[in-house]
Amino acid sequence: MGAIGTEARPAQAMAPPPDWVLVVEDLGKRFDTPDGAVTAVDGVSFGVRKGEFLSVIGPSGCGKTTVFNIVGGLEPGYQGRVRIGGEEVRGPHKSIGMVFQEESTFPWRTVLENVSFPLEVAGVARAERHQRARRFISLVGLAGFENRYPSELSGGMRQRVAIARTLAFEPTILLMDEPFAALDEQTRLILGDKVLQIQQELAQTTLLITHNITEAVQLSDRIVVMTFRPGRVKRIVEIDLPRPRTSEIVGSEAFGRYVAQVWNDLREEATRGMAESEIGALSRRP
Amino acid sequence: MPAARDLSGVAGAPSGSGRVAAIRIAIILVVVALWEAASASGWFYRDVIPSLLTVGRALAVLAVNRDFYWHLVVSLMEVGQALAIGGGLGIAIGLALGGSRFLSRAFERYLYYLGPTPKIIFFPVMIMWFGVGPASKVALGALSCFFPIALSVAAGMRQIDPVLIRVGRSFHASPMQMAAKIHLPAMREPILNGVRLGFGVAIIGTLLAETKLSNAGIGYLIMQAYAVFDMPRMYAMLIVLFALAIAANELVGRYAGVHAVSGS
Ligand SMILES: Nc1ncnc2c1ncn2[C@@H]1O[C@H](COP(=O)(O)OP(=O)(O)O)[C@@H](O)[C@H]1O
Ligand SMILES: [Mg+2]
Repeated sequence: MGAIGTEARPAQAMAPPPDWVLVVEDLGKRFDTPDGAVTAVDGVSFGVRKGEFLSVIGPSGCGKTTVFNIVGGLEPGYQGRVRIGGEEVRGPHKSIGMVFQEESTFPWRTVLENVSFPLEVAGVARAERHQRARRFISLVGLAGFENRYPSELSGGMRQRVAIARTLAFEPTILLMDEPFAALDEQTRLILGDKVLQIQQELAQTTLLITHNITEAVQLSDRIVVMTFRPGRVKRIVEIDLPRPRTSEIVGSEAFGRYVAQVWNDLREEATRGMAESEIGALSRRP
Repeated sequence: MPAARDLSGVAGAPSGSGRVAAIRIAIILVVVALWEAASASGWFYRDVIPSLLTVGRALAVLAVNRDFYWHLVVSLMEVGQALAIGGGLGIAIGLALGGSRFLSRAFERYLYYLGPTPKIIFFPVMIMWFGVGPASKVALGALSCFFPIALSVAAGMRQIDPVLIRVGRSFHASPMQMAAKIHLPAMREPILNGVRLGFGVAIIGTLLAETKLSNAGIGYLIMQAYAVFDMPRMYAMLIVLFALAIAANELVGRYAGVHAVSGS
């Protein structure tokens, strides 16, 4: 049916495969800075299949957050296209839920009120939204903290509140920008399992931005490796590990091979990233 | 959030706050002693510095005077209306200026120019527009508190963490929902600080207007007492005003400080 739908559309150049729910085509973005224009991303294209878990990995400053914001419809003024379900979108799309890299809980709301926020905005009645929010609060392991304020929680717990809040929106496409960066390794592995479990349950398509190789291999079906400045797609690695998957897989030999392979691609870019920031620091020295 | 932590830190420092209280009480005692000494010295013209005992007696007389309460209510109503009108406009204009770089660049400079101008110079105009009754006092009070409130709301809006705005947009909040659920709560402290400043200048504007031309209100009573050189009565009324201003300030301050008031 999907295929027929695509064919019925007026002729489009290179229609993407019909099972790709999210497609980015040739994304480009330049920022004007006091030091001149910076090309953050350049010609980035990839597609995410329905129900797929896709990660975008790259060194710091390679344009991952820029891609994240463009896909989420929050970054104006870019080149290229974002398509969801075949249609080009500009601006936030109803099927996308976003988890931000920065601290993003509302400090004036309790955990329960934070997680209820998207439901409140959608006009869900108070009792029902609290009930639905509680489910996601316990999914991220914060049961018992419903009435705490973010200032009373650790950074890792606040990030879990932000994840629960976006899950409560029940998006069919989940976008996450380094959501586990503030967490310690153990919590990260366990929360990764939880996210995979929820993804299965809600049949979500997930786009994860990360700089953590273990995390990317643990969770993903495919990994998009980006180059450093300008951000381009260097390679797309297929992770052929069995599903359903848990963090136990981290110890396996196949897992180790994938980590080595991704690191091999990434090492060069990370080295370049480090060198450039050092050169930048040197040239800025008076 | 850091603000909330700081507050709890301050509350949890009993030794420091004890010393602060001691110093405050000492200051009051010194002022009282100096005042009494000046009063007893006879260096000042007649009743210019009356003994605190006479002021206390005048205060007691005021406390049982029904006319005084009527005038007090007139003044409070004027200040309240001034704050509602000037504050409401100030918040609305502040939100517009803080939300639009264009509007801010086009108009905000004028607010900074007009802000420190003594508003009493507009009083003759207000009398022509609104008459000699309470309306012209309300207008002057509203004009006075509009500027600090508008400017602090505009500044507060610009210091909102931009990621919170993106969170709201990513969940498709409407502009009204953004304002009510994100902008206003995120700006709670700057808004309340603006209201605090605004409240002070609303009192000043309103009462100053009453002292110039009126037939009701505390400002009017003070000028009457001054005209017949009843200094104890005048000081008694100043003390009442002072106490009311402190009480109102404490109230706003407490509301600004406790970050959990809006909780479920
Ligand atoms: N708003 C902005 N203004 C100017 N430069 C920006 C802005 N956002 C990002 N950049 C630049 O674009 C590049 C990519 O940034 P970003 O997408 O945040 O990278 P990443 O998320 O991979 O660390 C960086 O060099 C950064 O300095
Ligand atoms: Mg980033």
